[in-house]
Amino acid sequence: MENERDFSTVEDRLAFLEAVLFVSRDPLSPDRLADFLGCGDAAEFSRLIESLEERLALRDRGLQLLRSGGGLQLVTRPDLHEVLKEFFAVRAHSRLTIASLETLSIVAYRQPVTIAEISEMRGVNSVGPVKNLLQKKMIRITGRKKVPGRPALYSTTRDFLKYFGLNDLSELPSLEELTEMFEEKEQPSLFTDSL
Amino acid sequence: MQTDGYQVRTGLFEGPLDLLLYLIRKKKMNIMDVRISEITSEYLRYLENRSGLNPSREGDFLMTASTLIYIKSRSLLPRPESLGEDPEESRLLHSLVEYDKVQKIARLLQEKEGGQLLLWRRQEVLEKFESREFELEEVSSFQLAELFLNLVKRGEREKVFYITSKNYSISEKRDEILGMLEREGFIDFAAYVSGLDTIEEILVSFFTLLELVKLRLVVAVQKRLFDSISVWKQPEGEEPRSHGE
Repeated sequence: MENERDFSTVEDRLAFLEAVLFVSRDPLSPDRLADFLGCGDAAEFSRLIESLEERLALRDRGLQLLRSGGGLQLVTRPDLHEVLKEFFAVRAHSRLTIASLETLSIVAYRQPVTIAEISEMRGVNSVGPVKNLLQKKMIRITGRKKVPGRPALYSTTRDFLKYFGLNDLSELPSLEELTEMFEEKEQPSLFTDSL
Repeated sequence: MQTDGYQVRTGLFEGPLDLLLYLIRKKKMNIMDVRISEITSEYLRYLENRSGLNPSREGDFLMTASTLIYIKSRSLLPRPESLGEDPEESRLLHSLVEYDKVQKIARLLQEKEGGQLLLWRRQEVLEKFESREFELEEVSSFQLAELFLNLVKRGEREKVFYITSKNYSISEKRDEILGMLEREGFIDFAAYVSGLDTIEEILVSFFTLLELVKLRLVVAVQKRLFDSISVWKQPEGEEPRSHGE
């Protein structure tokens, strides 16, 4: 018998999931995991994932399950950030500049998009942030626009989703939702100011 | 001095649209109701003392200033009702509305980024168990240059200086490196460089490596930032690719 896999009990499956997620550096695809476990039923698999999530939470573990970039990943609990930083003597995590964030915003919502279109929307030349984001693999060239000069068209990557903890682009709010979100946030401060 | 209310701005303005939106919010106006002529003078005042402006964007700021003055001057002239809104003005207002959305998305992304940075992921796992087969990854010349500076710094820690009259040439280095590859098939560039005596020789070696990569005589791979560079001979039969790619 070559196949020694035995996932007959839920315990076996949970132990395997915990182990494989612990070892993996990148998010693992749920489909691949379900397939390996012989979980034909999608609902069955998501129940499994939920119980793993509950277990991690119940036992006050330092890890939690994260769905990111369309995959599953074990990451540390956010409240441990400061002590981890201290232990590994990390001074500060590098963050994206405002210029890069604005450029990413435009690419995420308007993709595929050219540098000229990005610059037009930001009102400033955006070659710098585009190069920076290409190097960080947050965006990539996905084609060329059929206009004179055939400028490159840019789109976001899976690394972009992973970096921001998104599963897919649909998790970003629509432009209408976005306006409402910020109106709700800003109104209280307007009130306090006028008092 | 009058305070800016709840809006406090410490960083630089990204560009003219950023500054205009700031001025509009400061006045608590709705973008669609903004009368450009009202904020023109404030905009120009910012430009005059240049505080908070991104100096590399000065041209962009000036460009918008001229548009603003143009719109303002036209608004002072009598204008037949039938012509409706000033097209320049509505174009600028449209850009402001669009840019306002961009800023909102950027803020949202920044919040998400902040949240994600609190979650640590596994980075170093499997290092020891990975096979000697390297995944070939494209490395930019910036990354190579960064590694090089790193190596120089590492070397500087052992401050031993030799006064030497030897000059190194790229063609000699080229023969040396190619000779080594011929004999050994592989060079760990960091190890190679650490055996050299002078910064000059390290520099020449690095330039030679870049040159050899450019000529497609060798393949250089850096697995990740600050790692050593692994160097192989360009495999036979792999013709240099054409430039069109």
